[in-house]
Amino acid sequence: MSRKWKRTLLAWTLLAPLVVLILFPFAVMTITALKPQAEVLNPTWWPSELRLRNFADMWVATNFGQALMNSLYASGIATVGAILVSIPAAYAMSRFRFAGRGLVRQFLLVSQMLSPIVLVVGLFRLMASLGLVESVSAVGLVYMAFNIAFTVWMLQSYFDTVPKDLEEAAWMEGAGRAETLRRVFLPLVTPAIAVTAIFTFINAWNEFVIALTLLRRQESYTLPIQVFSLVAGRYTVEWHHVMGATLVATLPVAILFAWLQRYLVRGLALGAVK
Amino acid sequence: MPSRARFLPYVLLLPSLILAAGVIFWPVGDLLEIATHNVNRFGQLRDYNDFANFKALIADPNFTAALIRTVVWTVAVVGGTILISVPVAMILNEDFYGRDVARVIVMLPWAVSLTMTAIVWRWALNGESGMLNSALRGLGIIDANVQWLATAGLAFPMQIGIGILVTIPFTTTIFLGGLSSIPQDLYEASALEGAGRWQQFRHITLPLLKPFLNIAMVLNTIYVFNSFPIIWVMTQGGPANSTDILVTHLYKLGFRIGKLGEASAVSVVMLAILLVFTILYVRLAMREEAR
Repeated sequence: MSRKWKRTLLAWTLLAPLVVLILFPFAVMTITALKPQAEVLNPTWWPSELRLRNFADMWVATNFGQALMNSLYASGIATVGAILVSIPAAYAMSRFRFAGRGLVRQFLLVSQMLSPIVLVVGLFRLMASLGLVESVSAVGLVYMAFNIAFTVWMLQSYFDTVPKDLEEAAWMEGAGRAETLRRVFLPLVTPAIAVTAIFTFINAWNEFVIALTLLRRQESYTLPIQVFSLVAGRYTVEWHHVMGATLVATLPVAILFAWLQRYLVRGLALGAVK
Repeated sequence: MPSRARFLPYVLLLPSLILAAGVIFWPVGDLLEIATHNVNRFGQLRDYNDFANFKALIADPNFTAALIRTVVWTVAVVGGTILISVPVAMILNEDFYGRDVARVIVMLPWAVSLTMTAIVWRWALNGESGMLNSALRGLGIIDANVQWLATAGLAFPMQIGIGILVTIPFTTTIFLGGLSSIPQDLYEASALEGAGRWQQFRHITLPLLKPFLNIAMVLNTIYVFNSFPIIWVMTQGGPANSTDILVTHLYKLGFRIGKLGEASAVSVVMLAILLVFTILYVRLAMREEAR
């Protein structure tokens, strides 16, 4: 047996317990979602048949469509808003040396540390005083604010990697700052903006506490709250519907995340070394 | 530089700073105010109350228990995660067949929201028909169903385990970054001098990984300390408050019992603890930056 094969065997043996633990909930989710209702509460692993119709039933029974729209809407507002205000901020942090720059960076670090749960009473009072409880848009706005530190940090670390010479060359040619920005700088950083936007979207998509606190009526629930409400404080839980909903709500985002994960790591790492 | 450009960076930064300050720092001020004043059930402020809310907290055994449990929770999850993530990152840093697949699998829990993970585990750990019980019975490990989440002494360790599982991806990522920054010739040179694997780990890997260990420790401490969905979704602090940590206790005080003053006092205590860790983190980050 070659050395690499030995290493492979050893590596997978050592990783096996962790791999099993990680894949276990995915197996539970998928199998339960496909079980016929009568078998869900049976303690058997394999369903007698794969009931794909469960998903169609789940969609109606769990009011999935409405919650999906709310989630898309709140996450959309958060993403577009956070990116729009963060691009100029990150550009300023990357391209200018000004008094108070270090202070702004510290401000961003600190605001990233303050999680919604610690501020939840104050946030609720703020939104209540503005009459914005039950407003999905307001939830989007709060997500936007809590993501700004992350987006500015990520964008700045990517902006820093774009050489200044390119812009300076354009200035030499007589282009103004605005034109240079539009024709030279922005096209170069579009991929970075896209990646940052996707992660902001995922962050907002997965958020729990703010939505749980600010949204009290079922019509305004986002997906995590909707699925949670099917489980919490009920005597009978339709687990095959719950697992189906979890699967549909999770899978697209999880694939996106797994695919783009290395960019997140690189962006955060760039930010940390800079 | 033309004078117009002097103000430009501030103008560019303004919208983001206003938004972040308005939504994040206004509530901080508000919390400080409610925590130190009398508040009625409808949230109207009365007069300054001489730290009555904080005194009430200290007198409340549920708060003290939640505080201690938060320490256990944070230390166990962060410690367990780091102990597992160092070897996992070292394995994933080796060259073996299927490494890319292994990396994707290890990163998977990061890709799923904590709420959804907790909901799936709540079902998997269900005492009557949960699939963990059926799997363990099928393997002959247990004879009778275990009430994982309904037993006071069992629910919390299970939640700690799940906390560790979802914290591993981020931590492993940090360590992988650290390992790839260690020059390979250090190992080759030490091997020539006759150093064994363990000695290499003790004298090369661990010291050079130390800044990354520090960052992982501080960042994870902050995240885990603040973590709400796992416990709230799985047990809501039950059975009989036996899994309450500060965040769930705070949420119950504020939104179940309606004691806004005491809930804010919990927030203020948490902010004070977080401040210490944040200062620690800013220092570490700035030290890295200065290099």
